[in-house]
Amino acid sequence: MIFNTFRFVALAFFLFALLGCKNETEKKKRYSFYILAKDGSEYLIEHDVLDQGNLSPANNGVLLEGRNMDRDVIVKAGYYYHLNRKTELFSKSGIQDKRLKSQFNIPLKDFSIENFNWLATDTLLLTGLNISGYNQTKFFLIDTKAMKVIRQGNMEIPKPSGKFTTLSIGLVNKEDNHLNIAYTYHITKGVSDYITSDTMYVSALSYPQMKLIKTDKDVRSTYPGGINTIQSYSFIDGNHDNYFMTCPGIALGNRPEIPTGIFRIKADSSVIDKTYFFNISASKINNHAYGMWPLGNGKVIVRSERKDLFKGLGDHYSTAHFEFYVLDLKTKEITRLNLPLDKGTRRECILVEGDTAYIAVNSNKAGNFIWLYDIKTGSLKKGLQLGGDTDFILRMDRLN
Amino acid sequence: MGIDQEVLERYHLGICNEQEQKLVEEWLFNADADELDLVAFDGSKADLKQEMWTEIRGVLPKNIAVVKPKSNAYFMWKGAIAASLFIVAMGAAAYFVFGTNFAGENPSMSFNNSSAQHVKHIDAKSYNVSLGPNSSAKINSAAGVIDLSGSLLISPKKDVEWQFEGTTKKITLKKGQTYIILKNSTSAEGIIVISESNLLDLPPVMQKQITTQFDI
Repeated sequence: MIFNTFRFVALAFFLFALLGCKNETEKKKRYSFYILAKDGSEYLIEHDVLDQGNLSPANNGVLLEGRNMDRDVIVKAGYYYHLNRKTELFSKSGIQDKRLKSQFNIPLKDFSIENFNWLATDTLLLTGLNISGYNQTKFFLIDTKAMKVIRQGNMEIPKPSGKFTTLSIGLVNKEDNHLNIAYTYHITKGVSDYITSDTMYVSALSYPQMKLIKTDKDVRSTYPGGINTIQSYSFIDGNHDNYFMTCPGIALGNRPEIPTGIFRIKADSSVIDKTYFFNISASKINNHAYGMWPLGNGKVIVRSERKDLFKGLGDHYSTAHFEFYVLDLKTKEITRLNLPLDKGTRRECILVEGDTAYIAVNSNKAGNFIWLYDIKTGSLKKGLQLGGDTDFILRMDRLN
Repeated sequence: MGIDQEVLERYHLGICNEQEQKLVEEWLFNADADELDLVAFDGSKADLKQEMWTEIRGVLPKNIAVVKPKSNAYFMWKGAIAASLFIVAMGAAAYFVFGTNFAGENPSMSFNNSSAQHVKHIDAKSYNVSLGPNSSAKINSAAGVIDLSGSLLISPKKDVEWQFEGTTKKITLKKGQTYIILKNSTSAEGIIVISESNLLDLPPVMQKQITTQFDI
């Protein structure tokens, strides 16, 4: 009798746990939005559809309190991974009961993330710099399931020397047994006074030893890529060729006289392909661009500024002046998307699923909408609105 | 028959007769009753006091019974402290009543930080300011004019709209938010005003400088 009671309780518990899990699965949302509201508050909104509806941060979002979260967040499989530069803790958080709850924290001392790469489902490579100087390249390899550091150390990339004081890593790609890392150097004179070298570098490092194998350099443009926790600047196509853009404009490299372009590192190579260069500044776009997202079939969307519409860095983020263009990387054909002018200097704002590219646009006049671009037909239509107090959709990520 | 010590004692011990009890109670509860017959309390008033004190002292704890006489220095310091407290209290009262005439304003304030590395923190009446290295600022909150060379972190305590001196550039700063203001050149285009929540829109090289300098 006692045994039977025990068995019944165990069975009930098991069923309860099973149902609990099922509910948990049902609740998982597909997409996540990082919102900056007009009053300066920040929200995360999780939602299932992009093609219709209207959401407001106050009604549908989770207010981000304190300073544990920021928009330089890595979103994957229901979780938000973020390094807090003040506490030096790398956290794995999820939304539970309408609150963002940190589930694990691991200390990553004296580290600022420049690039992240998922090497496997639960293996995350973080590459970046020391906060104490921004002149030493470092890495952390993390098991995100157990939230443990697998390996960490410095990378053998030459420190800035001579007149150069700091560096930026803009691209990290793992090949079979080595990493390709693109970077450049800066001269910083004061809080708002800096300039970037006219040369970009690509170094091949052995993996996992992180020892320098060789370095290639290129002067056709500078400031390769950017901080990819904020925005995407590169991708690997079906042939394993790696395309990346350079960003010498005032929002990144501050060498506006140098052209913005798209470059290629061919599969299994460690050098920039000298035969390929898509010069965006010299094209009909005639402006600097920041941010590139692949559409498939050799096409990408780039987000370019309009120098005739902003005055300087002071209004670069607040003025709606950004345009979206579809580029064919092979034929170099350029098509402007007929979207409202977008605001926000850097944003993770494009998701591609099948034949649809979802583009989040922050327009002062037309509102904050997700637009649906049909890659095959080229048609555009309005989808989900982020209304209420929304000022900027800073990120749009695939959550699950 | 009058009330005397002997009758009162017997009353309290519960051994007086019915007539005595009635008499005592009448005396106790009647304001018009005869005064207590004090014949029984012979001896001087001083002796009586001394006798009472001796009895009381017998039941008191020892340490309370001992009271040391205070020295003159004690009274001098007591007076001085009291006077100081009075002056502080008056000063504080004056500050709150006539606040605008004290440290907060002067509506025009000038700050200068000639250090090449350290940030200077200033807490003014209507804003908190951290001035970056090699920077100088002048804020006239009454006239709504700001002038800056270098970098500044500011948290206003109320909504303000200021104009940059010598330019037509106006800046609106909201209470409770923190702003970074940078100015290197003399043109309005060289002025950058950005709230901390938009910091990641600035070029990363500048963000790193700002977060390091201002420790934010």
